[in-house]
Amino acid sequence: MGLMKGVHKKLEPQQSPTFFVRGARPFARLVFFAALSLAFMAVDSRFNYLAKVRLGLVTVVHPLEVLANTPSEWYRSISAYFSTHNTLLRENTALKTLTFEQSVTLQKLNLIEAENTHLRSLLNANPAPKQQAILGEIIHMGRDPFTHKIVVNRGSSHSIITGQAVVDAAGVIGQVTRVYPFSSEVTLIIDKGLSIPIQIERNNLRAIAFGQGRDSTLDLPYLPANVDIIKGDKLVTSGIDGIYPAGLAIATVLKIERYPDSPFAHIVCLPTAGVNNHRQVMLLSIPTEVVNSSLSSIKPLAEKNVLEKPAQTPINSDQTIQKPITKKSSNAILH
Amino acid sequence: MRYYTNIFAVYLTLFLAFIVNLLPWFGQGISWRPDFVLLVLIFWVIRAPQLCNIGVAWFAGLLMDLATGGLFGQFALAYALTTFFAANYQRRLVLYNIWQQAAYVFVLLMLSQLTILILKLFTGHDVPSWHYFFPSIMGIILWQIYMVASGQQRLNQR
Repeated sequence: MGLMKGVHKKLEPQQSPTFFVRGARPFARLVFFAALSLAFMAVDSRFNYLAKVRLGLVTVVHPLEVLANTPSEWYRSISAYFSTHNTLLRENTALKTLTFEQSVTLQKLNLIEAENTHLRSLLNANPAPKQQAILGEIIHMGRDPFTHKIVVNRGSSHSIITGQAVVDAAGVIGQVTRVYPFSSEVTLIIDKGLSIPIQIERNNLRAIAFGQGRDSTLDLPYLPANVDIIKGDKLVTSGIDGIYPAGLAIATVLKIERYPDSPFAHIVCLPTAGVNNHRQVMLLSIPTEVVNSSLSSIKPLAEKNVLEKPAQTPINSDQTIQKPITKKSSNAILH
Repeated sequence: MRYYTNIFAVYLTLFLAFIVNLLPWFGQGISWRPDFVLLVLIFWVIRAPQLCNIGVAWFAGLLMDLATGGLFGQFALAYALTTFFAANYQRRLVLYNIWQQAAYVFVLLMLSQLTILILKLFTGHDVPSWHYFFPSIMGIILWQIYMVASGQQRLNQR
């Protein structure tokens, strides 16, 4: 017994036998990599240094995104090949009717446009900015349930710049917030970080719509409880931001709640465009006047949420529209 | 049973899982899609910790961050933390049967989602509804289907 007493002391300090060797201890590795990722997060949220790194790595990841899209491409081309004669005929008739209807409307539009240019020249006003559109296809949707972002297959090589509006046939779906060489990232209007200057179609009341973030709806905060909004009102872009052309449909008022303890009405709106269910989208270019006058000042409206994105441009003085009001005081603390 | 594991198999499966994660999901699938990269990482960390460890997981997380366009480093941190808890208890885990292992893997999947949730709350996001944890449930169902279908008694390397 006396011999055995000191055995445990002799064995200390305990060392792993050689056949258990696995390199550094897991905890040491964790501390190292956790510190590294925390540093990355801090740098990414506060400074602009990682933008280049991100750009380079995204170019590497892009082929994989294209590769991931090929199965669904094949599926669609195969199912398109096997679509029946009847379906095509029906579609053809429907499209012809639609074209006919739209060409009638378009004739009126030409007339109105000519009249408008004429009136503007009479008034010595600036001509209305022309906007071009590029068709893009959604190649992948982020898997992050907190941020509503999609990746579109058009990038800086197709002369896309940050801040461009993205629309579908029914209305606005979002705004380009990051541009890579062959793809760009679009923040959807239902994202919490995106806000759009809007106008009520019925009475031209101006307001700012914020994404709700969770339920695919939009909020209209900061409107008094007695505001003239009724259920079913249509929200359209006001165009005063110089980014979105005026009159694009955004959302419909779904419900209005008025609380006795709050001076503001709680207005919930449903997006008009199929924000989550399209493959093709249109990227509208920013009106040329705005590009010429203050290219550096165009910042995506989503920049409100500074922690999520690196600052892309220096902060300018003329940001009264781009950066309206911080929605939550909690955000303000983090700034 | 003898398993052949080599570094090529590890990277090939990780690569495939990454591609599957990048697939364009639409409709209801979005809220249910599991994190395939994390599942593959946990599998290899338990099966072959000398080939796939926290460093590999961290780098895979970094690639996920790039693909999702979120804050740089959040998936990296979540994956590193999750694989730490897999790697640290790896010697005990390989002794469990597949149902006990599944319970632990489920905890790991939830841990990864919780890490991202906490990071998101710090950056000023709202608390999501409980649907947020659907991917973990779907992930563990797939894990167990694979384990039972491949007839494994336990996940160890021998």
